[in-house]
Amino acid sequence: MHIGVARRVVLPVAGSLITYLLLLVGGVAYTAIGNSSSDGLVTQMLINAIVVLGIQIYIGNTGVLSFGHMGFGAIAGYAFAVCAISPDRKAVQIPDAPFGLTEVDLTPLQSSLIASLIAVVVAVVIGLGLARSGARSGAVAATVITLALLFVVHEVAKNWIDLTRGGKTGLSFSPLGKVTLQGRGWIYLALLLALLAARLFKETRFGRLAQAAREDDLAARSMGIHPALQQMIALLLSVFVVSIGATLRVFELGSINPRLFFFKYTLLTLTMLIVGGRNSVAGSLVGVVVISAGSEITRYLAGPSVDLPALDWILRNGLTDVFLGGSMLGFMIFRPAGLLGDWELDHWLAGRLAKTPVSQLPAGHPVDGHRSEGELHVTGVVVDFGGFRALEGASLTAATDEVVGLIGPNGAGKTTLLNVITGLVPAGGGSVLLDGDALDGRPSYLVARAGIVRTFQNLRLFPALSVEENIAVARLAVAGHLADRPQPEVELLLRVSGLGELRHRRAGELDYGNARRLELARAAAAAPRFLLLDEPTSGMGDRESAEMVHRIRELAELVRAGVVVVDHDLNFITGICDRVYVLDQGKVIAVGTPDEISEDPVVQAAYLGGPVNRSN
Amino acid sequence: MTELLQQVVDGLGRGGIYALIALGIAVIFGVMHLVNFAHGELITVSAYAAYGLFAAGWDWWLVAPAVVVIAGVTSVVIEFVAFRWVRGAPDFTMLMTSFGVHFLVQAGFVMYVSANFRQFPRPGWIFETWKVGGVSLEVYDLLVILFTLLTLGATYWVLQNTMFGTSLRAAAEDFDAARLMGIRSDRIIRGAFALSGLLAGVAAVFWLMRSGQAGPTAGLSPMLKGVLAALIGGLGSLTGAVLGGVVLGLAEVLLISHLPAGLVGLTDGIVFLLIALLFVFRPQGLITVRRAERV
Amino acid sequence: MLEVESLTTCYGAIAAIRKVGLTVRAGEVVCLIGPNGAGKTTLLSSIAGLLSPTGGKIWLNGDDVTDWAPDRMLRSGLALVPEHRRIFADLTVHENLMVGGVTKASTRRAGLRDQVIELFPALGSKLGTSAGYLSGGEAQQLAIGRAMMAEPEILLMDEPTLGLAPLLADVVFNLIGTLRDTGLTLLVVEQNAQRILEVADRGYVMRSGEIVLDGLAPDLLARQDLFDAYLGRSTDLV
Repeated sequence: MHIGVARRVVLPVAGSLITYLLLLVGGVAYTAIGNSSSDGLVTQMLINAIVVLGIQIYIGNTGVLSFGHMGFGAIAGYAFAVCAISPDRKAVQIPDAPFGLTEVDLTPLQSSLIASLIAVVVAVVIGLGLARSGARSGAVAATVITLALLFVVHEVAKNWIDLTRGGKTGLSFSPLGKVTLQGRGWIYLALLLALLAARLFKETRFGRLAQAAREDDLAARSMGIHPALQQMIALLLSVFVVSIGATLRVFELGSINPRLFFFKYTLLTLTMLIVGGRNSVAGSLVGVVVISAGSEITRYLAGPSVDLPALDWILRNGLTDVFLGGSMLGFMIFRPAGLLGDWELDHWLAGRLAKTPVSQLPAGHPVDGHRSEGELHVTGVVVDFGGFRALEGASLTAATDEVVGLIGPNGAGKTTLLNVITGLVPAGGGSVLLDGDALDGRPSYLVARAGIVRTFQNLRLFPALSVEENIAVARLAVAGHLADRPQPEVELLLRVSGLGELRHRRAGELDYGNARRLELARAAAAAPRFLLLDEPTSGMGDRESAEMVHRIRELAELVRAGVVVVDHDLNFITGICDRVYVLDQGKVIAVGTPDEISEDPVVQAAYLGGPVNRSN
Repeated sequence: MTELLQQVVDGLGRGGIYALIALGIAVIFGVMHLVNFAHGELITVSAYAAYGLFAAGWDWWLVAPAVVVIAGVTSVVIEFVAFRWVRGAPDFTMLMTSFGVHFLVQAGFVMYVSANFRQFPRPGWIFETWKVGGVSLEVYDLLVILFTLLTLGATYWVLQNTMFGTSLRAAAEDFDAARLMGIRSDRIIRGAFALSGLLAGVAAVFWLMRSGQAGPTAGLSPMLKGVLAALIGGLGSLTGAVLGGVVLGLAEVLLISHLPAGLVGLTDGIVFLLIALLFVFRPQGLITVRRAERV
Repeated sequence: MLEVESLTTCYGAIAAIRKVGLTVRAGEVVCLIGPNGAGKTTLLSSIAGLLSPTGGKIWLNGDDVTDWAPDRMLRSGLALVPEHRRIFADLTVHENLMVGGVTKASTRRAGLRDQVIELFPALGSKLGTSAGYLSGGEAQQLAIGRAMMAEPEILLMDEPTLGLAPLLADVVFNLIGTLRDTGLTLLVVEQNAQRILEVADRGYVMRSGEIVLDGLAPDLLARQDLFDAYLGRSTDLV
């Protein structure tokens, strides 16, 4: 645990502080050597950094592409302006403002916080909408909903003249719009807090669970993760940070109009995020610097001071936008992970520190803790897919001290039965009882928390996360929902699965054998009562399959879980199962020990076929 | 009653243009699973082409077909230059790519033409009204409806009666099975983009007749309407896209005529809001593609 | 006619098939049996050009066709009836057949379609029906007919009786015999090992991405340990 705190809190904070100082030093240096405009540029850059960090919190951790963050920015920006502009100026600009807002007179700090809270409230509504539509990485619905927000806010801002003074003029502060030194101090503070928030969120429970769901939504649900909840938390924090940044932008500019937070700014901030690396907080900052620098250079080159007739065809007005669009496009095509991928400065720091010692628990020592005997009763399950009956009265029982096999020819319904037990497929009839508790109809993340965890036929790891993190996040997902089930430590699982050496390797880079081992270890980390394994030896040779027998037994004993395993390799099934169910065309046609069923002519006929009208 | 009829015709006039754009978007989505936010650039390009041709002395009778062809060609060029590289990439990547293309093309116009809008002549006779049985109908609306029907009819004919159309529908349903039959993936994708471009071209002709101007953001508004319409219809469905366009056009007109004066400017916003709500409760769109069970 | 040599195809890091070798001589019916997940579909897809092998070679009539795309394979006389049939449910029967003939000259397609209808009369009355409304047996006929539109010399079939009632499965097995009699060469992946071995000339047994057994069909059928080889019960295979 001590190591955990260091890695998850101390190092990230240290890394963030170092990054922050580097950024500030750079900014100050640039201001010192630059001309009068560089001061404003650095200020803008710092403000943009806050906004991009905010966006990173959502898009980076959830993988959901939101185009609407500037909609929140606009809400916060206008709320800020309405609160902070002096009543005298408001009386001139928006005399008919509703709710008596012309009288409101708050300090910039108060206005900023209130405006951000208002935006967060709107975010709650949007978040609920996103959850209802099943938002996940790649889903079009999320993009549409967030785009809608951007548009609706823009339209309202243009048209609600009483409140916003419309699109032509917008609202403005007193002519003293220039940010004073005191104002700049707030920007520095806000940036530091935003940076810490973004970096630390990535390490919090919500951030980590959101990342797992980003990697593989289905696997995450099967591990007990409720993606919508994590995404909502990420959204709220994200909107808060973006809003703070937006209010600062308005303050620095001294005015607001609807175009300030519309497509152009969305493009700018998204490009910064993508170029830097959307999964990296440090990347956001790098992206901001690179794009700001690039924009400035292009602006300078396209400006009047540069006169190169040979290059005149490209050095013109609009070059900056070409640069932006081209950067976004170029990175999406050639380097979608961005410059930094998901690297953080503290990763480098961690690498420089001494290797942490592997804990000295004896191998294979069963986890301490009271574990009652448990039973899984699946009775009479019926599943119809359109006109096709996949399962017909399928039943199965398993106890926590045995390994039960489920075999049958292709299309027999084995995976469908697993899907019914884990809540991925609704059953048209029958029941699933875990220790007498009915599981039918429960969504898969609740089934996982109740104690049934599965692996998938087509290996579903969290590819961008490390081996260690795959296991740790599974552990995290069910922690707190376990009742009396003790959880094995990550160290122990790494050791038992033989993955200790590969702990820092990305799961997506593992070879097949190790990937399967990781899948098992991850499932065990969720401290299940029952492990449902879907073809764990598929693609393996005889030697590897034999090894799997050993591994599965070891892990099952470690967490005292019963095992239900679906597979085709009879060697493997014989080696590991106490009892076997044979499924064919949706029905159980035989039950017995492995030897019994492999001698059974009914089973043989089911597999090999034979005369067309066979008696069942 | 006459007012309602006028509104319906007006709505269909708008809806026709939206339907054409939405259909173009749906065609590409069907084959590539990509919502092409760069679709609007075809209209921008068309606008500039029209401006240029008018400056060269052409008139609408020649400019209109030229615009259609130019849009089709541009669409294929865009596929070749940008989307070719991201085929099969995750949806996030493809979405961002289409946004990137959108901004890039827009910026290109700012650079090489002008950031300002350039005017070109609008065909005056189109905006006359005919009185049909006491109802005042704009010639423009009638023309749009006519040409939309013709274009949709032609597209439908192509899709149903040509090998290309059948291959496109096959590829939209099951891309790999289509490949297995010997359909060449790059040809079919390019064909989809070309068809999509031609549809956008026809829509552009009428859009430009009404707007009479060319500018870097000329394509933004129609593109958004087209995306909305395609979404309403359910992205997988071609018929849905057309219906979505009609629904959108009618909804707009109804909203404009029934909203209190102060809120008329919010029409677009309200439409967007309604669509967002639709997506919250029905992420697959209005029209579920009824697919018979595979036995 | 078809020779596969040491073929390996990977999905990412996983080798779905490993150094697989088989031969199909002209006029033969060769079957490929084995449990689910053995890699049979991967093998057929790799041969037909849908998947790119990472190692090994494929020879068709002496040409190296390892990296050829499906349309080229079709023009060279190799067609695949894929697993689950994958007919285009949104298209009519007629259109499905036409798509099957996409590599043929447009003038010939109608004639080819008529030939297919002679083979499958049931399709003839349903030309205008949307393929999604066909029954299982009709859909299988359509899938085969569609592949036949390309006038293949060698036809690959991936689990043609999958999901079919026993009587319909019978029809398919009879069909395989009929097709062979017309001179077609066939490589068939089948679930019903016993039935297919009754019809085939030779067979290969695949398990876990490798060929573990091969021989003349009658010999394989007679083996007591076929079931064991199928499911990997014993590791020494004579």
